[in-house]
Amino acid sequence: MKDLIAKVKSNQMIAENTYMITFVLPESAGDIRGGQFVNLSVGDSSHLLRRPLGICIAEGKEISVCYQLKGEGTKKLSKIKTGDSLNVLLPLGNGFDLSGYKNIAVIGGGVGIFPLIAAIRENIKHKNFYSYIGFRSKSALCLINEFDKCKSLTVTTDDGSYGKSGNAVDAFFEDVQNLNLDAIIACGPPSMLKSLKEKLLKNAIDVPCFVSLEERMGCGVGACLVCVCKKNDGNNARVCKDGPVFNINDVVL
Amino acid sequence: MADLKVEICGVKLKNPVIAASGTFGFGREYNEIYDISSLGGISTKGLTLEPRQGNPVPRIAEGRSIILNAVGLQNPGVESFIEKDLGFLKSKGVAVIANVAGRTLEDYGNICARLNGLVDFVELNISCPNVKAGGMAFGIRPESIKEVTLISKRALSLTPLMVKLSPNVESIAANAQAAQNGGADCISLINTLTGMVIDIERRKPLIANNTGGVSGAGIKPIAVRMVYEAAHAVKIPVIGMGGIMTGEDAVEFIMAGASAVQVGTANFANANAMPQIIQGLNAWLDRHNIADVKQITGCVKLN
Repeated sequence: MKDLIAKVKSNQMIAENTYMITFVLPESAGDIRGGQFVNLSVGDSSHLLRRPLGICIAEGKEISVCYQLKGEGTKKLSKIKTGDSLNVLLPLGNGFDLSGYKNIAVIGGGVGIFPLIAAIRENIKHKNFYSYIGFRSKSALCLINEFDKCKSLTVTTDDGSYGKSGNAVDAFFEDVQNLNLDAIIACGPPSMLKSLKEKLLKNAIDVPCFVSLEERMGCGVGACLVCVCKKNDGNNARVCKDGPVFNINDVVL
Repeated sequence: MADLKVEICGVKLKNPVIAASGTFGFGREYNEIYDISSLGGISTKGLTLEPRQGNPVPRIAEGRSIILNAVGLQNPGVESFIEKDLGFLKSKGVAVIANVAGRTLEDYGNICARLNGLVDFVELNISCPNVKAGGMAFGIRPESIKEVTLISKRALSLTPLMVKLSPNVESIAANAQAAQNGGADCISLINTLTGMVIDIERRKPLIANNTGGVSGAGIKPIAVRMVYEAAHAVKIPVIGMGGIMTGEDAVEFIMAGASAVQVGTANFANANAMPQIIQGLNAWLDRHNIADVKQITGCVKLN
């Protein structure tokens, strides 16, 4: 975990309301695993909270993360220009540990696809990925070329304007019996993860499933206990430090 | 290099910059970013006799230059702290301040008795705005502040007592005096201001608890005023906090009468905030040819 001042290489819109910011670190931040995130300052002293964003691409000292325009903070972030400085704290959280798994299903919804891209990039040489990614509509579609090297890719849109009409979870369950899976990784809105959990149970699929959770954060490093989720044993876990990746059976969704 | 050492209630701090309760855990996480032994002290996450799970999420929201939080005193309980975290904090050579909260007067007495002699200070949280058990009921009126301070002090024969005051009150001077009269060895202020932030699209408050504690740069003028008023109302040392982001902010609180300062929200905005504040404080003193930080304590002169 390092607190660094990075230089912004680019900050571009990649889909409606969605941006990718690429920055260069002054030194290596060590190994970065898909599912880990960066806590970045929007570069304005009136926004005291950093934005936790899942790492999408990590190539040496060059890191890309994506974000959706939501409020004043992300709007400010979208104004950052090439050459500007950016205060970044990374890598944070645990990430997806795919060691020991060969055939992996990837289920992503909306901005949830970004950390999954990092996990695919990290493991594509040695593992087989079967991806199911869903968007609201064609205008939200982005980075689907990142899934080119997967064994299969199914894209869905809620309104049917691109790919298959419907959502990524349903598309996955249409195929699941034909896939010889060792693990599932997923990231997306809470409703998507909840539906995934219910359907895994209903279909008696006991393949290990790892989900990356999102929660509003304070420190991002595990100190302030702001971003907790409930575990099945009744205790809280810190999304930023104990997660953001959890076994789907360990957490209440 | 100015002399930054301060002594508060007989406890020596290598500098007057202390991590504020609730933002710094028990120090382990920030110690992965920098060596926390450079700090003057660390006030722990608020401790209760039994472990607590805290409030539902979301627990945090942002406004302009402020944040709002309602964690609700999630903590592993005082026994877990003593067993698992106290040794680590002590090994770092920082002043260890155990921040404690209770539901009843007896809770305060019991938790103070448990920590007596084990830590450098006990900081009484009688001002957590986010849970009933946070002692807010004790922290509003002078009579109850004095009562909870008396009970706590009685249990602390070996450890100085710091009483943390709420800003959500009628008279901060009267409450500071009440803590002093109850036997407090020092006071710290301000805790967060109660506030609300609404998501206008959803027409609902942004945090699950609806209201929360407001902190950050935006509350600093209120905090400086209250530190000034409290420091002029009591003889015991005052530890100031509320929106300190830079070394210059720390100077301002010290001039208002604080013997030391606490830094909370700044840690979220900037993981290296505290080392930079210490450095900034030193640089300001050097620039003004002041050899010892104690020379500026309470030096502000009113117009």
